[in-house]
Amino acid sequence: MNKWLSFILLTSLCLPAYPQTMTNDPIVIVINAQNPIDKMTRSEVIDIFMGKYVAFANGDKAIAFDLNSEQDIKKRFYQALVGRSLASINAYWSRIRFSGRMRVSQQFSSSQEVANEIEGTKLAIGYIPKSLLTNKLKVVYELNE
Amino acid sequence: MNKSGLVTRLAIIITFAAAVVGFLSTQVFYRITYLHELEISKQEIVQLNTTVSATTSIASYLEDEELLKEVVNGLVSNSVVSSVGIKTKTLSIASTNHQIDDNSIEFQLFSPFEKDREVGSLLITPNIDHIQSRAEQISNDNVIAIAVQASIVTLVVIFVSVVIITTPIIKIAKQLHQITPGTSARLDIPLHHHHSELGTLVSDINSVLIKTEQHIKDERMLRTEVEKLGKNFHMLFENSTSPIILTEPKGDILLYNQAFLKLLERINVPFKKNYGPYLSELFLEPESLNNRVEIAFGNSEIASGEFKLQPSESSEQPIWVQAIISSSISDDYKEHYQITLHDISKRKLQLEDLDLKANTDELTQLLNRRGSEQTLTKFINSKTPFALIMMDLNKFKPINDIYGHDAGDEILIHIANQLTVTLRRRDLLSRWGGDEFVIILPNLTQQEVVEVAIKINESIKQSYFLEKYNKEVSVGCSMGAAFYPEDNQDLASLIACADKAMYYAKESHNNTFFCLYGQLLNEKKVE
Repeated sequence: MNKWLSFILLTSLCLPAYPQTMTNDPIVIVINAQNPIDKMTRSEVIDIFMGKYVAFANGDKAIAFDLNSEQDIKKRFYQALVGRSLASINAYWSRIRFSGRMRVSQQFSSSQEVANEIEGTKLAIGYIPKSLLTNKLKVVYELNE
Repeated sequence: MNKSGLVTRLAIIITFAAAVVGFLSTQVFYRITYLHELEISKQEIVQLNTTVSATTSIASYLEDEELLKEVVNGLVSNSVVSSVGIKTKTLSIASTNHQIDDNSIEFQLFSPFEKDREVGSLLITPNIDHIQSRAEQISNDNVIAIAVQASIVTLVVIFVSVVIITTPIIKIAKQLHQITPGTSARLDIPLHHHHSELGTLVSDINSVLIKTEQHIKDERMLRTEVEKLGKNFHMLFENSTSPIILTEPKGDILLYNQAFLKLLERINVPFKKNYGPYLSELFLEPESLNNRVEIAFGNSEIASGEFKLQPSESSEQPIWVQAIISSSISDDYKEHYQITLHDISKRKLQLEDLDLKANTDELTQLLNRRGSEQTLTKFINSKTPFALIMMDLNKFKPINDIYGHDAGDEILIHIANQLTVTLRRRDLLSRWGGDEFVIILPNLTQQEVVEVAIKINESIKQSYFLEKYNKEVSVGCSMGAAFYPEDNQDLASLIACADKAMYYAKESHNNTFFCLYGQLLNEKKVE
C-alpha cells in the first residue's frame, strides 16, 4: 500500500506553516570566499539544500552545512526558501530516504559554528544571519523573508 | 390458441413493444453509461493524480528514478489506468505497453518547492477496456433489470387485459355469435362490468336485439298479411271471369290472367306478347277505342266503353266487351295500363233482342210506333232529309166487325207484306197503331214520293181472299205526307202535319187517297 503511505506523508507536508516573527537580521546564503561561484539563484540554493544536486553549477561538489537543532534561524531559513515548516522538511527527508537518498548536509549546533566551518571549507555552503558575515565568506543569495 | 385471437395479438404486441423499447433503451443506456464511465474514469484519474501529486512532484524534482518507478507502478496498478508515463528533464519512465491515445490525460509536474518551476509531465492513459467492461456490466445489469421489469409489466398487462377486457369480450362475442337475431335471447352483462363501457356495450347490443326482434316480428306479421292479401288478390285475379291485363304504354303485356287466355281462345287469336296499345289489335274498331282512351286519359279519367272484338271465323256471334282501361304510375315512375274486359255479349244480345222486341210490332213484324219514332229522331239528328207518310186503312173496321179480329189481323199482315214488297230496302215501314202505318222515305223528291204513294195505293187496293170465310175482301187507304225539313223540323209537329194531310185526303171522298201537306197549305190559302 505504497500509494496510501505516500498519500499520508505528502499530505502532512502540506500543512500550513506557522507565522514567523520578522527580524532585522536577514538570512544570507554564503560560501567560502575562495569559491569561484559568485551568485546563485534561489532554485540552485533549493536544489542543494533539498538534496537534488550535491554540486555547484560549475560541477564542483557542494557540501551543505545545516543546523542540527530546531533553532529559529533554521525555521526561518526553510520557511523563506521553500515555504515549509521544519516538520515538513523532516518528513520530506524521511520520505525520500526510502529511495536510498540520504541527507548529505553536515550538521552543526549554531550559526556561528556554520560560519566558521564555511570559512575553512572551500566547497561548503550554508546559511547564516547577515550579521555573522566575514570577509572570508561570500554571499551568493540573500533570502527575502 | 387462436392465432388472431385478441389475447394472442395483445401478448405479441406488448411483448414485441417491450422487447423493442428494452433493446433501444439498453443501447442508449449503454452509450450513456459508457460516456459517463469514461468521464468518471477521467475524474478518477485526475483524483489519482492529485493523490500522488506530492510524490510525483518530489520524484520528478529529484529526478529519482526509483521513486518515479514507484509512482508509475502505483498508478498503473489502478484498474482505471491503462498506462502511465512520466517525463522529467533527464528521465523518461513509463509503464510497460505505454501508449498515448485521445483519452490520455497529461498533467504538468511542478517542483514541490517552487510552484512555477516545471519539472516534468505525467501522462496517464485510461483503461478503455476496463471502462467498457464496466459500462457493459452496468448496462447488462440494467438490461436484466429492464427485462425483468418489462416481463413483469407485460405479464401484468396481459393478465389484466385478459381478465378485465378480453375474457368478457370473448364471452360476449361467443354469446352474441350464438344468438339468432329476432329471438328473445339476450346477452349477459359480464361480472363487475355493470358500470364499465363493456356493460354499456352489452346494454346497447341488447337494446338493438330488442328492436331487431320487434322489427322482425312486425315484418313477419306484415309479410303474413301481405302473403294472405297477395293470395287473395291472386285468387281474385286468377279466378276473375273477366280478363285482366297489365301492359306497358307501348302494349307489351306484363301480366294477364286465365280469363284472358280463354278470351283469346274464343276469338281464336294466338297468344302474343303485344297486341298494340290497349290490345287494340283485338278490337274490331281500334280507332274508336283509341279515341275513347285518349279523351279519357286527357281528362285524367278512366276510359271505359263497350266495343266489339275482332270476329273469329268459327264463332258467329260477335263478342262485345266492356273495356275499362286505367293508367297507373308505379313506385319506380313507370306508366302501366290496366285493362279489364267484361264480356257483355250476352247482355248485348239480350238488349238487342229486347230493343228489337220493344221496337217491333208483334203482329206485322214491322217497326212499332216507338221504333219508328227512334228512327225518325235519328234522321232528324243526322239532318237526313226524308218524307213522312201517314197512312190509314179504309173499310177495315167492317171487316174486323164482320169476320172478327183474326181476319182483321190477317188483313194487317197482308198489308204489311204488300208494303214491304213495294218499298225500297232503305225505306222504313212501321205500324203506328191500329190500322195506321207510317212510312219514311229518305232522300226523295216530292214527285218521287207521289209515285211511291200511287204504288202503295195500287198494292193495297187489290182484294184479299179470306180462306176461312171463303170471301174476297178489299181495303183502301188514305195517305198524308210531310217533308223534313221543309214542312217542319220538329218530329211531333211533322207527324201532326202528315196526319192533317191524311185526314184531308180521307174526308175529300172524291177518290183522293193522297195529300201532301204543302199542297194542303196552298189550297187553304187559295180557299
